[in-house]
Amino acid sequence: MPRPSAALAALLLFALTPAPAAADPVYQHLRLIAPAAPGGGWDQTARVMQQALQSAGIVHTSSVENIPGAAGTIGLARFVTAERGTGDVAMMSGLIMLGAIVTHRSALTLHDVTPVARLLGEYEVIVVPAASPFRTLADLIRTFKERPESISWGGGSAGGTEQILAGLIADAVGVNPRLVNYIAFSGGGELRPSVLGGQVSVGLDGLAGFQPYIDAGTVRALAISSATRLPYLDAPTLREQGIDVDLENWRCVLAPPGVSTADLHRLEGAVKTMVESAPWREALERYHWNDRYLGADAFSTFLESEEARVIAILKKLGTGGDNAPTGPYPVLVLAGLAIFGLVAARGLLRGRSRAAAASGAPTSETIVAWKAIALIAIGITVDVLLVERGGFVIASTALFWATARAFDPRHPARDAIFAVAVSVGAYLLFARVLQLPLPAGVLAGWI
Amino acid sequence: METLTALGRGFASAVTLPHLAWALAGTTLGTAVGVLPGIGPALTVAVLLPITFSLDPTSAFIMFGGIYYGAMYGGSTTSILINSPGETASIVTAIDGHMMARKGRGAAALTTAAIGSFVAGTLATIALTFFAPPLAAVALRFGPAEYFGLTMLAFTTVAALLGNSVVRGLLSLFLGLSLGLVGIDQLTGDARFSFGIPQLMDGIDVMILVIGLFAVGETLYQAWRHGRDEEHIITIHDFTGMSREDWSRSWRPWLRGTAIGFPLGVLPCGGSVIPTFVSYMLEKRLSKHPEEFGHGAIEGVAGPEAANNAAAAGVLVPLLTLGLPSSATAAVMLTAFQQYGLQPGPLLFSSRPDLVWTLIASLYIGNVMLLVLNLPLASVWARVMLVPRNLLFGGILVLASVGAYSLNRSVLDLVLLYTVGAVGCTMRVFDIPLVPAVLGLILGPLSEQQFRRAVAISGGDLSVFVTRPICATLLVLACAVLAGPYLLRRWLPEAAAT
Repeated sequence: MPRPSAALAALLLFALTPAPAAADPVYQHLRLIAPAAPGGGWDQTARVMQQALQSAGIVHTSSVENIPGAAGTIGLARFVTAERGTGDVAMMSGLIMLGAIVTHRSALTLHDVTPVARLLGEYEVIVVPAASPFRTLADLIRTFKERPESISWGGGSAGGTEQILAGLIADAVGVNPRLVNYIAFSGGGELRPSVLGGQVSVGLDGLAGFQPYIDAGTVRALAISSATRLPYLDAPTLREQGIDVDLENWRCVLAPPGVSTADLHRLEGAVKTMVESAPWREALERYHWNDRYLGADAFSTFLESEEARVIAILKKLGTGGDNAPTGPYPVLVLAGLAIFGLVAARGLLRGRSRAAAASGAPTSETIVAWKAIALIAIGITVDVLLVERGGFVIASTALFWATARAFDPRHPARDAIFAVAVSVGAYLLFARVLQLPLPAGVLAGWI
Repeated sequence: METLTALGRGFASAVTLPHLAWALAGTTLGTAVGVLPGIGPALTVAVLLPITFSLDPTSAFIMFGGIYYGAMYGGSTTSILINSPGETASIVTAIDGHMMARKGRGAAALTTAAIGSFVAGTLATIALTFFAPPLAAVALRFGPAEYFGLTMLAFTTVAALLGNSVVRGLLSLFLGLSLGLVGIDQLTGDARFSFGIPQLMDGIDVMILVIGLFAVGETLYQAWRHGRDEEHIITIHDFTGMSREDWSRSWRPWLRGTAIGFPLGVLPCGGSVIPTFVSYMLEKRLSKHPEEFGHGAIEGVAGPEAANNAAAAGVLVPLLTLGLPSSATAAVMLTAFQQYGLQPGPLLFSSRPDLVWTLIASLYIGNVMLLVLNLPLASVWARVMLVPRNLLFGGILVLASVGAYSLNRSVLDLVLLYTVGAVGCTMRVFDIPLVPAVLGLILGPLSEQQFRRAVAISGGDLSVFVTRPICATLLVLACAVLAGPYLLRRWLPEAAAT
């Protein structure tokens, strides 16, 4: 859809952007992995990086891939296994993933990846709805000390930064952190309506998430988790209010395990150039992020101490399992499955024995049907085995051809032509036009 | 009045050539991604984000709005024609829509879906224009207890989906509920039933279940039946669209679907899937021919298709007025707003009225475009049924594998997909309905989580479910829906007999 004014705007933008420091881009293409769904903090960081890297000329092109789930640990597993040794890929991570690794007792940890750089920090804000009876943090803490369970603390995923903060506050005011009634939400987007609607007593989130509501007066900021007051927020720190806690949620960039020293230096250099670029500086200001850049060596040291700290805090909070019963629900569901399964099977078996008595031996039609199913099963097996090793096109061609043959064995050549055409067409449509990463496999250089 | 002038200005800005072009690009692309199983509007908008950096925000959002509405139109096409929903919101459409297609009435099903989507989209956009702020305020009164009540009400819709046998229907439901147990328990962070496999920690994706049960299961089942009987092959090729009777049976479901879809879309719970189930149940209950449901009743297509489009508009209410994303696409659009330095929420209407009103105006225009685009396409699409079956099913499996693989780029998802497909084929062979399983997987985790969250907030006090008026009303309504038909039959035997 070419559009003259857009082209003009792009040209203007290009002309106004300061000339890139490096004449040649460091990367032709750099893949950024956000181990979260689009819309969350890691996704946002990855997209800002993408924009900054491209417009500063550090990379020629860059793409963001989302691998959501389980507070980033699914993305981590994928990153460690599938990207081992890959030189042109980086993943977002941070304090929340560190907490999730401990809480989920993940087999993979940040020791299985290569630290590249710490990027930024974000303070946590403690808010209540505008109609809340708690005018100040002191009001809240008074009630919390009297009846800890009556205060519900809403925040992000279990074991993440917000739960850590709630636990630290409880500990600092002399309440057993295990008594914190923490309500986990899958992220800021799900948390905010519960805070605005007064469903939870207190909301905890990164400042950027609540800033617009604080400005609009729909929520009240009781405290900010920074060590000193912030110029852009009219709220006292926890320290000022007698609670000896400060906490900053940080995000970082990781490389896969087994990358060469040269590849690591190249990525570290690219990130360093990026954090000094104008687009990155602007983004920091826009999202109220703090510049917390640390190079690979300093970041590795930081990661060690931070991990020990998080494990200690979460142990105190008692997350990570053993004392958290999940209730009778799973048992009920599985019992229901077993009961209805048995009743249905009994009904079917009765019907079956009656039908068997009527019909007798298997007919030629049954044999045809099993042949067709077997052919498709072969196609499916080949697809699963070959899709990452041989590539999408080869695996799909086999799948298509076997399926087509199962239904109608009369036109093997025609079916083969269609199989290749559909597979190549689908690859070009999804991988090239829609930018969905499909494995190219052995044909990588050809299409 | 003020709203009308603002909307007028919005139209003036939307009806410029570049803005119209972006709306057309968005709606066309949206229809296309709606058709493709597993590729949804959220992913498409995310992929397009970097490309739109060079555009002004208004053009970008006009295109995003078009993609979002368009996907709701396109999702029904594959549901109806090849019994494999392109989006979760079109699962219910597959039940009767595909039966219609098998009877050679695919064009009529596609037409009622397109017109229903247009009617619902337009009415819901009108509601969005005039009532967004008060509606958003009501939505905020819903907490975990209320959402639990809502999921209970949604569960009752399973009664309309059970098929020929209550036991087999419930078996399917519990299968879905059991699959819903897999993954990390969000409230405690404990992994359940994930057997140490990292990819299972986040649970089983609904899209895997849908593509597996429907697309793969259907292919295997057709192969199984292949060579036995040919009765399911369509002999009539009628591409004419809707008859007079179809019209008279469709317009009420369109309006009722809108009335259900829009308010449920405003609530940040479940997006546009739950309204389609509720609409289907309502149409079956109100129909004079409930026995036709499951065998190609046009109401079963008209109602849910209207409901999902109305819900899509409803989702924009909390997004624009409060900055709250209540669906995956809304979350991506929120990111897009922020990348342009805009913050949707209480201040957006006053800080950037031009952008908001142009976006709303272009939603009206997009709806008209989608109708114009989709009506003539209905009879073209319906001819997909004429493609040689062996090539059609080969293509379906390839598309299904792309959809499943691209969710998480994991071969394990492919293995899951084909396993679920084998289960789906077995379920078809034994006449076990598929839709209750999907309902169970969607609603099970949601209701468990909301229940436990509500109890946690109240400090372990179960009375919250009866003392909170909205929640109590929803629970009473759920009981009434379940027990109502039996009580009516007992009290009014003569009314039930007619």
